[in-house]
Amino acid sequence: MNTLGTVLAAVGEGRIQGGWEYVKAAYGICWTGLSLYALSLFIRSRRSEEGK
Amino acid sequence: MLKALWNGFPLRAVRAFVAHPWVQRGFVLATLGLFVYAAWTGLVWAPPDREMGDVQRIMYAHVPMVQMMLLAGTINFVCSVLYLFHASWKTDALAEASAEVTLVFGAIGTTLGAIWGRPTWGVYWAWDPRLTTVAILLVAYAGYMALRRFVDDPERRAVWSAVTGIIIAVDVPIIYFSVKWWKSLHQVQSSPRTVDPQMVHALRLSIGAFFMLLIVFLVVRYRIALAARMRETTVPEGRQLGREAVAS
Repeated sequence: MNTLGTVLAAVGEGRIQGGWEYVKAAYGICWTGLSLYALSLFIRSRRSEEGK
Repeated sequence: MLKALWNGFPLRAVRAFVAHPWVQRGFVLATLGLFVYAAWTGLVWAPPDREMGDVQRIMYAHVPMVQMMLLAGTINFVCSVLYLFHASWKTDALAEASAEVTLVFGAIGTTLGAIWGRPTWGVYWAWDPRLTTVAILLVAYAGYMALRRFVDDPERRAVWSAVTGIIIAVDVPIIYFSVKWWKSLHQVQSSPRTVDPQMVHALRLSIGAFFMLLIVFLVVRYRIALAARMRETTVPEGRQLGREAVAS
């Protein structure tokens, strides 16, 4: 009952329920994208130093 | 390093300090550390939004990403103008680096915005003025990078890229002011002055972490671009010998 009351109260305030899956997807894409770019820079930097 | 510190204070000393490998490694480590701490404050420490709930936590990654995109785009504009007034491979290399970094930050930042839009607007994408102008910027910088790949002559490539960079930069202030001029679906930009005081700390930390990451990316990419320019513009020794042999 308490849980239902909390949910109803939140809905009454117009608050979005849940949403952690969006947060996880967003941060996952952000960190993966930046890590891949950092890796590509590292590889290109090594190649550049070797003069290829 | 100590000799340089003694001889050329302050500019040479600063350059020698910044160029030292241990300082650079320390900066990268500090960036990673701040990144982890900023993520923790955004995902755990900061309170959920009154209306958007936990979904609003995407702001701590989306807002700094888009801010860094605009900053890198501005750096590209400044380098493009500088190159046309005073041609230098260094400004051309920094222009190339900033364009690529703008594209990376912009593409990821826009994707985060789309994910944030789904639970709050009900759609991933809408042809809202802010989103449309950002899409135009990303397509334009993709074209800019393609242009740099297709032109073989380094001088011609640098001039054409500089002109293209200046034309693209017109979009940067339009993106920034679009939410104020048209007041459409996208909210007015979030900043430490517009969010709740409890969220300010997490937002400032995230902006700081992404700014440091922008510097790391720009410096590494600039070095790669400058090394490529040097290889392109330096006449190979074999060819020089060949010319001398023909002349003699």
